[in-house]
Amino acid sequence: MQTILEIIGMVLIAIGIGFNVIGMIGLMRLPDIYTRLHATGKVSTVGLCSLLLGAAFLMPSAALKLIALAIFAVLTLPVSTHVIAAAAYRAGVPMRRFSRDDLAAKYSGGSAGGRELAQQGDDLFKIERSAEN
Amino acid sequence: MSAPAALGVNLALFILVVLLVPCIYRMWAGPSAADRLQAIDTITTLLIGIVVLLMLIRNDRMFIDIAIALAAFGFIGTLALARYISERRRY
Repeated sequence: MQTILEIIGMVLIAIGIGFNVIGMIGLMRLPDIYTRLHATGKVSTVGLCSLLLGAAFLMPSAALKLIALAIFAVLTLPVSTHVIAAAAYRAGVPMRRFSRDDLAAKYSGGSAGGRELAQQGDDLFKIERSAEN
Repeated sequence: MSAPAALGVNLALFILVVLLVPCIYRMWAGPSAADRLQAIDTITTLLIGIVVLLMLIRNDRMFIDIAIALAAFGFIGTLALARYISERRRY
């Protein structure tokens, strides 16, 4: 019984470590703060929750607090990711080139550079579409 | 905890500590303040995992309280700093 619990816990911890490694690769490699938030925001949430559940299997006397911490992480980590993305957009952090800014027409307070780049991206998109047709 | 499980937990702790390096790089080289805030948030997430693995290694239930406090304060600090950045006051 103890061995089965340890095997389940180690598998969950390995899954959590794997998700964290993927998230950190995304944090290093992706070109833009929005794509980087897309990489780490979800992936490290899953990684942390898997790690906490694995620890709950390895140490059952602290399982209640670990599961409560996992629920707290699921509730708060997406919120903080969203808040960072909204702050970056309002502060005018530019997007990667050729990406569409769908909020640019709605919020005039967005990033001016982001609007210009989005306009260029739209033009390129139209040129590509007309070339296809 | 048996010997292979202890070895696996030590290895997981080593990998998590190594994963702090990309976050520190992003915090050092990030072009905007929001990049640095994201790096700090990710470091907090990794530190929660590190504290939980330390709890398993030291076999001491007190560490889980540290992890809970770290999660709460990290969340509140991220919210406050994001509010500060979104008002376009530069660091």
